[in-house]
Amino acid sequence: MSEAILSVGIDLGTTTTQMIVSRLQVENTAAPFTIPKMEIREREIRYRSPIHFTPLLSADTLDAEAIGQLIRSEYDQAGITPQQVQTGAVIITGETARKENARQVLKALSELAGDFVVATAGPALESVLAAKGAGADQYAKSHGRYVLHLDIGGGTSNLALFDPEGHLADTGCLNVGGRLLKFDRSGAVTYVSPVLAGTHAPSLGDVPTPESLEPLLDVLIQALEEAVGLRPPTACLRQFLTDKAVSLPPQAPVLSFSGGVADCMANPDTPWLQYGDLGVLLGRAIRRSSLCRGSYVLGKETIRATVIGAGSHATELSGSTIAYGGVSFPLQNLPVASLSDREAAYPAPQLGETIRNKLALFDEPAALALRGVENPSYTDVTRLADGIAAGVASGRQPVVVVLEQDMGKALGQALRLRLGPQARLVCLDGLHIPEGSYLDIAAPIGNGSALPVVVKTLAFQ
Amino acid sequence: MDKQELKQMVAQLLRELEQPVENAPAQPRDSGESLPDLTKLDLRQEYLVEHSENGDAFLRLKRKTPARLGLGRCGARYKTLSMLRFRADHAAAQDSVFSLVEPSFYQNHDLPFVQTMCKDKDQYLTRPDLGRKFDEKNQAVIRQVCGQNPRALLVIGDGLSSNAITANALDCAAAIRQGLKAYGIELGKSLFIQYARVGAMDHIGQLTGAELICMLVGERPGLATSESMSAYLTYKPYPGIPESKRTVVSNIHRQGTPAVEAGAHIADLMHTMLEKKASGIDLR
Repeated sequence: MSEAILSVGIDLGTTTTQMIVSRLQVENTAAPFTIPKMEIREREIRYRSPIHFTPLLSADTLDAEAIGQLIRSEYDQAGITPQQVQTGAVIITGETARKENARQVLKALSELAGDFVVATAGPALESVLAAKGAGADQYAKSHGRYVLHLDIGGGTSNLALFDPEGHLADTGCLNVGGRLLKFDRSGAVTYVSPVLAGTHAPSLGDVPTPESLEPLLDVLIQALEEAVGLRPPTACLRQFLTDKAVSLPPQAPVLSFSGGVADCMANPDTPWLQYGDLGVLLGRAIRRSSLCRGSYVLGKETIRATVIGAGSHATELSGSTIAYGGVSFPLQNLPVASLSDREAAYPAPQLGETIRNKLALFDEPAALALRGVENPSYTDVTRLADGIAAGVASGRQPVVVVLEQDMGKALGQALRLRLGPQARLVCLDGLHIPEGSYLDIAAPIGNGSALPVVVKTLAFQ
Repeated sequence: MDKQELKQMVAQLLRELEQPVENAPAQPRDSGESLPDLTKLDLRQEYLVEHSENGDAFLRLKRKTPARLGLGRCGARYKTLSMLRFRADHAAAQDSVFSLVEPSFYQNHDLPFVQTMCKDKDQYLTRPDLGRKFDEKNQAVIRQVCGQNPRALLVIGDGLSSNAITANALDCAAAIRQGLKAYGIELGKSLFIQYARVGAMDHIGQLTGAELICMLVGERPGLATSESMSAYLTYKPYPGIPESKRTVVSNIHRQGTPAVEAGAHIADLMHTMLEKKASGIDLR
């Protein structure tokens, strides 16, 4: 049994806008005569758009109309229609997310791109998707090493740390990128990012040389070196942090690079004003620095890593023994209320009370996420079902429960008995949902046995 | 080394053998404590090769398989621990085949007891045909417990592993009942069958006219686990029904599919079979 999901990724970055179309091949990987287990076995990229500059009306406003036009023509080029698209992600990244009308553009794009292409952003998710698009998680797993991936784009550097099993350990983000300075053709400065305030940055209209930019590049490199643990952290790192740095692993990680600046690392002989920004010089400076003196790799994708991550790696599959009914898919933008292991172990009445309080904090239907019990007994299932049923009894529907451990179908059936045949109910397992995420759940695949899910982080904080 | 030297060496060895051993090992004293239980060690977490190049990497691979890898060696042989553990696992597998399910298991959980025509385990293992049939007395119990023409029956048989049944059958059966209840199908009491072959359900089908029977049965134990259980499902079974008419869900144990989750799946499967009036390869 094998089937394919058509997925689209759109990356609206500080500098560039790109789109890819990929085919996710889903197969049953379980042994014969055992319960089926659907997994994404292959991710084949069917179409890569050219790399466009992100259309802007002014420095602070995106050109919504031009962006819409661009995506429509890319769909035509790829030979697909929005109706065919089953999953994917539109992600708005870096400094672009801070533009005034970013939220409206994202919403419009998501509707244009297809029923189930999700709108999403946030530095944590961007870091993860770029790293997966570049293959950093695979590298960590196959080499058994910690890998710290840096996706260095126009406005930001997104960091993602993977452990030797290829699992995500932490993410971080810095305001270090190739387009913090922009130049016109004559080499005069036309834009200075506000994050460079107080550094050795030139002023508007100056005509710097690569040599005169050295002190500024030194500061940017220093911030990166501090972020990856090659130097102790100082005020320099704090100045460039957007949210947080990654907490460093016990042994020195392999550094992995992607993003437009990684492209410049690979091609150091590019004329420095080629892109009218700092990218080429920054790429060369990274090459010369201590960042490239230990073990490091260039991602298998560089400038396209984020868009490939969005198109090919944003979608996960639920476990294959799950329960759902009375729900029309897709379900979109479900906020998540998380239950800790301690809370989930409460006796049923107290559990119900806890759940009721948690769900009351949302003014829309929310998903309930908990780890669940490894190899549960029937008594475990009954207690959880009693608690959850009491907690959601008078609440909104659909009731959505998401577990990590393999018990979704048993718990779902127990909830069905308690909530009645008319209840709108989804009970999934096999998914790890970080606190504060949002979920999109697509229509079932594999003969109805599994549901594609995208776990999103908050788009606009 | 020439012939002469070899002769001398053998002669020397023989002389040494004749001399009384001076430093005979002291008799071990019985401290009254038990030795550590070898089978408690989780082999997936143990990498026993000394001076390894990258033991952590090997351990990550080991977590994915019950295979006995990375155990180290002494010359061309296993180490003592690996050897003893292998024998302990083999013994557990044999014990599971030869031991009976404790009477408290079926007595305490309202599972009426029946027995196939086998008299003991030896006969059970050597006469598969007798493990598929019931005598008059047991036939009467079956008729009385299951009634006539039930829509679905759930029965539990020891099969080749009593451990598998004790570990999984109750949780799995409870989940099946719950799942079917949501479809409006109520199951009657479940029989416990001693000395059961899968084919015993065919005789039960003939005796009761059941439309669908699900039998939970212990799988032949291996060295990885002695607790693996299967469910065999047959639509309108009768003695002599082709094996291709059966649907099987195997590998139900703590490291495979958890018992309750398997039960939930089986309940759905039973519902589908009743709707489509088919099982095995007839079920599309």
